[in-house]
Amino acid sequence: MYIKGVGMTKFDYSVKPWWLFAYDAAIEALADAKMNIADIDAIVFSSISSAAGGEHQTHKVSFLSDLFKTNVPIIEIPSVCGGGGAAFWTALHLDEYDNVLVLAAEKFADNKSDTVVDWILSAAEKVTEQTEGMLFPTQNALVWQKYMEKYGATMDDLSLISFKNHSNAALNPKAYFYKKPIDLEKIKSSPVVASPLRLMDCSLSVNGGAAIIISKDETDVKVIGSGFATDYLLTFGRQDLTHFKATQLAAKKAFEQAGITPKDVNVAEIHDAFTSVELISYEDLGFAEAGKGNELIRSGKINLDGEMPINPSGGLKAKGHPISVTGLAQIYEIVNQLRGNCEERQVKPEPKIGLTHNIGGAGGSVTVHIFEKVKK
Amino acid sequence: MNFFKCPKCERRWQYPIRLCPHCLVDLEKSKSEKMTVVASSKAMIPTIMHPAVPYFAHIIEDENNNKYAYKTVKEYKIGEEIKYEPVDDKDAVAIWRIKYDISDAIKSTLQLLKIDFAENSKILILPTLVSPNHAYFRENTSPDFLAGVLQFLFEKKIKPENIKIAAQSFDETPIEASAQKSGLLDVCMKNNIAPLDIAKTNFVKQGNLEISEEITKADIVLNLSILKIGQAASTENIFKVLKKENYLASKYLYSETEIANELMGNLANTITIGEAEVIQRPDKLTVFMGLTLAGKNYLNLDRIFNEISMAKAMPKIIEEIRPENIKTVGREIKEVQYNINVC
Repeated sequence: MYIKGVGMTKFDYSVKPWWLFAYDAAIEALADAKMNIADIDAIVFSSISSAAGGEHQTHKVSFLSDLFKTNVPIIEIPSVCGGGGAAFWTALHLDEYDNVLVLAAEKFADNKSDTVVDWILSAAEKVTEQTEGMLFPTQNALVWQKYMEKYGATMDDLSLISFKNHSNAALNPKAYFYKKPIDLEKIKSSPVVASPLRLMDCSLSVNGGAAIIISKDETDVKVIGSGFATDYLLTFGRQDLTHFKATQLAAKKAFEQAGITPKDVNVAEIHDAFTSVELISYEDLGFAEAGKGNELIRSGKINLDGEMPINPSGGLKAKGHPISVTGLAQIYEIVNQLRGNCEERQVKPEPKIGLTHNIGGAGGSVTVHIFEKVKK
Repeated sequence: MNFFKCPKCERRWQYPIRLCPHCLVDLEKSKSEKMTVVASSKAMIPTIMHPAVPYFAHIIEDENNNKYAYKTVKEYKIGEEIKYEPVDDKDAVAIWRIKYDISDAIKSTLQLLKIDFAENSKILILPTLVSPNHAYFRENTSPDFLAGVLQFLFEKKIKPENIKIAAQSFDETPIEASAQKSGLLDVCMKNNIAPLDIAKTNFVKQGNLEISEEITKADIVLNLSILKIGQAASTENIFKVLKKENYLASKYLYSETEIANELMGNLANTITIGEAEVIQRPDKLTVFMGLTLAGKNYLNLDRIFNEISMAKAMPKIIEEIRPENIKTVGREIKEVQYNINVC
């Protein structure tokens, strides 16, 4: 399948309803594809309910039918933070349809922090994890502690990741932190949220929408690899506490399908819900050996002017993380990087192969997709 | 904590399932005995479910290399064991989390209070039965909770013929209707225990109170309260051992505190087990809480529960009891405190 069109709203705290984020992203993708909604044969949509319940709408597919005045099949694929990637993976398997719109929208940041964090907590297991204080920051802090204990990485390594992503987001007009760079010392001295993770190690919950149109028609960007794997909800019931098995499995599948190795990738968007997750993912995706992820960030190879930039968009950390939208926003960035459309943050030389990596929960569902620039 | 292991492939679950989906053989239930902290994070951000910060979120590991999530307000060092010293205090309240297994949670709370039952004990169970409603309303003791109590008693080798399950209606609703609709009658039938209407029993005078003779004959009375925010649910439930007319008359002559205290003096063999797995808010909405509480002093238990659930108002009968003066054992109040009124 090929990418025909992409669209994305600015990530922010605007109070538009969820469906308007969906609408704006879809219209941009249709314009990019030079299509209209009548050309779309099916829609795959991803979202979760809003935190406060003020926009509680459990029949979103019918809402979208009404919004777009279409009667095509619309499937909803929620998988928390991994929803966008899971929706894209699903769309790739809809062989019957020529043009599929993959869409995600969230108005998630709509209440006090304690309410929103409590709602995000619902992606952890209720009886044995939520009750025991396993917020996502604490879960990831514990995974990171075990990693540091085993491999000896430092908090300064994570600060470098945060600094890199904030620097990139400052160049991205659709990122929350556009033109708002953060200096390294401020990152290192930010308040502790769940020790040892600091505020500046955590991604930013925002609102937004993103849309991708895939097609059987040949275009300038081809999907050459797709992998999807899941793992146990109980994070500490997994065999390996320091790595995410689902990422390893999804990456293996995607690379096998693409017939390439991690060395062939020129640019990647990695799921940095926490800076520690980005570092661990370097290893799980095969960009670094186990325990050597810190060498990658220290070397500068993954900075915007490095050999293989990671998160040129600013990532979840600084572009923002509107839950289900993230997986599609990553694809939006990679497609634009492959097309050479990214202006100030354009990876040079123009990349040929790009990768996206989207995680649901604390590593419970993961998709990896690989894209290739097609010579015309 | 319990875990379930497949004897063939050795996969493990924390969920109470019966068959291994890979090998299709029965799983073996095991209990983790020793819990050691292997990683610890100090959480600084409050949420509705965890309003008191800082707290510590740990990974703990048992002697079988099973790992679990665990929260404390006390700081633990890596390698330190988490253990609780039982107390022998008639006014103490035990607090414990239900991790899918109600029977196991009840066993833990009673161990924390050094309470054990002899095999030949005669037990009278007093479930909360106040309205003819389905279990999900959480008006009455839940069938699962009653079944869990019975399972615990059977594991103690107490025979069904030595167990009585009794209730009484203080309004016009026939107790049979409530027993049937709540699902409690089914639990009685499945376990071959005949339910007993306290109103139809003989009553004996003890001081100012007329108490059912069945209560006085029992070695142990288990007051099974379903806890509700802003109520003294355990105390209200124990009043059901009184003759209805005596109770209504006593309310004119004495305060509820006086009745409760006199009753406590007369019923030294009463143990309250408070159900707080899913609880009712003052607006009748139900919320998951995942707890059970136990104690011999039902007034103290009701006060501690209202502290945990951050009740904005509570009955006079418990309002003046200072929670800081009550000894608690097991999980700490701040560990399990939950701002249920705002969720």
